[in-house]
Amino acid sequence: MSRSRLAMLLLLALVLALPDAPAAQTKDDTVVYAFQSDVDSWDPPNSVLREAIILGYQVFDHLAVRDLKTGRVGPNLATSWRALDETTWEVKLRKGVRFHDGYPFTAAAVKATFDRVLDPKNKLTARGNHAKIKSVEIVDDSTVRFKTDGPYPLFVERLTAQVMQSDKVIKEKGHQWMQENPIGTGPYKLVRWNRKQEHLLVRNDDYWGAKPAFKYVRVRIIPETATQIAELISGGVDVIKAVPPDQMDVIDKSGQARTSTSPILRTAMLQLDQAARSGPNPFTDRRVRQAANMAVDMDAIIKYVLNGLGDRVATGVNPMAFGFDPSLKPYKPDLAAAKKLLAAAGYPNGFEVRFRTGLAIVEPGVQQTNDAIVADLAKAGIVAKQNLMGDVGPYVAQVKEGKAGPMFNWSWGYYSVFDADAILYDVFKCGESYSYYCNKELDDLIQAGRSTLDPKKRTEIYVKAQRLLFDDAAYIYKWGLRGVWGISNRVEYAAPRDEIDRMFIVTPRRK
Amino acid sequence: MSAVVERSPAARDLAPAARRGALRRLARLRWGVGAAAVMLAIVGAALLAPWVSPHDPLAVDIRHRLVPPAWMEGGTTRHLLGTDQVGRDLLARVIYGGRVSLVIGVFAVLISATLGVLGGLAAGYFGGRTDAVVMTLLNVMLSFPFVLLALAVIAVLGPSLVNMIFVLGVADWPLYARVIRAETLAIREREFITAGRALGMSHARLMFGQIFPNLVSLIVVIATLQVARVIILESFLSFLGLGIQPPTPAWGNMLGEGRVYMLNSWWIAAFPGLAIFVTTLVINLMGNALRDWLDPHMKL
Amino acid sequence: MRGYAAGQLVQLVVVVIGISMLAFAILYVVGDPVLLLLPQNAGKEEFERYRRLLGLDQPLYVQYWKFASRAVRGDFGNSWYGDVPAFGLVLQRMPPTIYLTLAGLGVALLIALPLGILAALQRHSFVDNLCTALAVAGQAMPIFWLGIMLIIVFAVRLKALPASGYGTWQHFVMPAFTLGAFLAPITMRLVRAGVIEVMNMEYIKTARAKGVGERMVVIKHAFRNACIPVITVLGLQFGQLLGGAIVTETVFAWPGVATLTVESIRNQDFPVVQAAVVLLALIIVVVNLCVDLLVGFIDPRIRVRA
Repeated sequence: MSRSRLAMLLLLALVLALPDAPAAQTKDDTVVYAFQSDVDSWDPPNSVLREAIILGYQVFDHLAVRDLKTGRVGPNLATSWRALDETTWEVKLRKGVRFHDGYPFTAAAVKATFDRVLDPKNKLTARGNHAKIKSVEIVDDSTVRFKTDGPYPLFVERLTAQVMQSDKVIKEKGHQWMQENPIGTGPYKLVRWNRKQEHLLVRNDDYWGAKPAFKYVRVRIIPETATQIAELISGGVDVIKAVPPDQMDVIDKSGQARTSTSPILRTAMLQLDQAARSGPNPFTDRRVRQAANMAVDMDAIIKYVLNGLGDRVATGVNPMAFGFDPSLKPYKPDLAAAKKLLAAAGYPNGFEVRFRTGLAIVEPGVQQTNDAIVADLAKAGIVAKQNLMGDVGPYVAQVKEGKAGPMFNWSWGYYSVFDADAILYDVFKCGESYSYYCNKELDDLIQAGRSTLDPKKRTEIYVKAQRLLFDDAAYIYKWGLRGVWGISNRVEYAAPRDEIDRMFIVTPRRK
Repeated sequence: MSAVVERSPAARDLAPAARRGALRRLARLRWGVGAAAVMLAIVGAALLAPWVSPHDPLAVDIRHRLVPPAWMEGGTTRHLLGTDQVGRDLLARVIYGGRVSLVIGVFAVLISATLGVLGGLAAGYFGGRTDAVVMTLLNVMLSFPFVLLALAVIAVLGPSLVNMIFVLGVADWPLYARVIRAETLAIREREFITAGRALGMSHARLMFGQIFPNLVSLIVVIATLQVARVIILESFLSFLGLGIQPPTPAWGNMLGEGRVYMLNSWWIAAFPGLAIFVTTLVINLMGNALRDWLDPHMKL
Repeated sequence: MRGYAAGQLVQLVVVVIGISMLAFAILYVVGDPVLLLLPQNAGKEEFERYRRLLGLDQPLYVQYWKFASRAVRGDFGNSWYGDVPAFGLVLQRMPPTIYLTLAGLGVALLIALPLGILAALQRHSFVDNLCTALAVAGQAMPIFWLGIMLIIVFAVRLKALPASGYGTWQHFVMPAFTLGAFLAPITMRLVRAGVIEVMNMEYIKTARAKGVGERMVVIKHAFRNACIPVITVLGLQFGQLLGGAIVTETVFAWPGVATLTVESIRNQDFPVVQAAVVLLALIIVVVNLCVDLLVGFIDPRIRVRA
């Protein structure tokens, strides 16, 4: 091949690979939203990521959804539901709804969706959420019955966590295809996905519900927090989440954007390895755990480091969750008592432990609060050596494998289910992947709470459980998080309490 | 003995020119000398940190966070350079941070220089198969996106001081090896080596006793410049969250942590950044001066 | 020329084999990959089944052979997150990085060539010292700092450029300058050294003596020969450039392969890491081969020396 021909070919290849011209969308009909990291799939039940849940909300519908104002779960694709007996729920479905490809949404879709999720062979991550469901039966086109394995008080709550996928797609296109091609009934349709770069969504004009104000949604992947903020205040992006508290003034003073905060359903703590999953350690002694809780002045940290953006909790149960006991008061800072307890436990001179840190993406400001907590612990003699593990994936894997002890950052988002059980079971029950605590008494309470549908009885059970967790100081309890969102002044929007952004409720701001 | 050594006329003519050259070299050196003085101050501060530092670099004071430098509105003389995101004194942290950064720089360079010199000497001296093996290894290393391998290793082994020194040290040896090999190849053919060989000197003695001394100045110059590079690399690893662990201060991780604050509390990132900047600047100036002084013809 | 090229090719093959071995080894640096893949509660049977499925129960050389023979066909397996072919994922992210690198290289040359030549021609003058100072300062600047500063000035304050992203030429300006600034100092030093060396050569003196104009001398003779060391070292710098690209891509949310690889390393997504590392290494090797051939083409003496 002659040299000039080769050069021409090379040039041609480069030109062909040049970035696409931007789509025919103007700034006025587009709302731009930023993620720190991209999803791994467009098939929400096959992902553990919060971002996948959020994207799922734009394109799919759920049987039930939470009203952001009242916090209650209300109808969506399901119009009503009732318990026929302790183990049977009947759900009525909305009629006349169609998927993006025109195929009708019926009871068959509900059954196919749950059958796919529940089949252990499919290994979908959402299976754990619905494991209590034994079977789904079609009564008629718009009625389905769920059979549960014993009483299942969280049934309705969990309906908000499952997107409805098309039975036709599940059968004809299959799993692999669904990873990149979401066919839902939701307010937006996916136009294109450039991995780790952006998602472009276009309005579904046949949507059964309220019509979204913006024709397009662009979801951009911007890993750097500083860059996200710069984009927001220079007009490149309209909505960002997880703004560090210290950066709020930058946004509020910019004249281009504002911040919006909301308590969110996520509790932060430092898990201690009471169960000795990572091997013997001082925290197997209750007195040491109590001392650790007393050593740290959490209220001061919330006030000064988080600028007040945190709700102190006495245990891991979030104030917004069903079963929360407001009468239980958190540990008070008491250095002398802490030292006494440590001495009694055989550590008059304190001790040193490894402190696994990370997860700044889900808990903004965690590095700063860690530094403050470590300083407080050191005063009592507990020397915590920080050890950062940058990314969420390996971090979570380590926690699951029981290698994160004796002390690590953890925060729990309840899978967006507003119920005490959603944290107690996963984070405190003996033998669960994310639990480093083991207490037969608590396990019995958790089981009891799951076995009745009566809200009063359940509340009593969870009050007991919280007393127990407080007295036993399972972990170092921190606070319920408050999320900070940055919102451009060209749009109306507010922080969502369930951490699920809904771009279809964003509207242009009137000038 | 009172014999007077007569200068040849030619030598007398040459003298002024040579003197002018020396003067010029000295003039250029004054930058190096100035740089060395600054460097001495930096190293001294790092060594004497417990005595010169105004505060404990780890002392958290959450009631006085994000205090600006003394000369700005809201600043206090208690914290000359202000405080960071949890109220630690920035001046103290910059001083202590120098310890870690310099230790990483110096030790990583020692490792890479040792590996590189051994590899380069062996390749250049023995030639043939040894040369082929070293050069292949070197080519693989140079073609391999080594930054990525280093990241992978640190991500797995964990970002401790020792691991960091090790990884950064191993990463840079090909640079030394290339230059040393080329020089060794040239020196090997010179008379004093061939003579040594004829006298039956051992390989080791020839390599380390005869060739190596000729390479010292070259190695010193590269090593000096590399220290600066390693300090920058450390900040790069910190940027990716794989640097020195908090709360231990190192310039790199301070800069990395402070980058989110560049829009409001700019001083958190600015002062460690400035420390890196000044140190690398000074080291580079020293390196350049050293090169001019030791061997103006060195190609670097 | 043909013999020289053949020699280079043989070396290339050896290097490629070495690279593939290193890439293969990545998987074993971290211990048992099955542990990462399976949930904690997986039984021993499932564990063994998975090992067999992945072929991890076979001797190392068999595994390597399988890895290598699949890799040759561009098959590195699926990403462990998201079930897509690793090679395709890497390939898709390659163009943005190549453009960024080329643009950065362009900026670097744009800065380094004129300054380097100027500095060399007026050695030890004020201009020379200024250039040296600039180069040293440039090397002392951590590039993520520079990147964020550029964003603050040009996007936030002046609103002249988009803060981040990929797509139009405006998006290229700041990333290219950031990466260019990373590369410019070393390039400038090389240009300066190269020109100085060449200007002292006999043929330049001859050309001057023959009355060739000074500008002609510089452009036609000196510059051409000064290019050789510059090209060579730039080829070698390609790997370094990648380090700069990682930071630049992260700061500017640039959807390139460098960030993909770092992300995959941190997620321990080995098929993607392996695919990326091999592909990048191949590019570096090819670039260096081209450089060698080019240099051999410009300067026949080098062929003999090698």
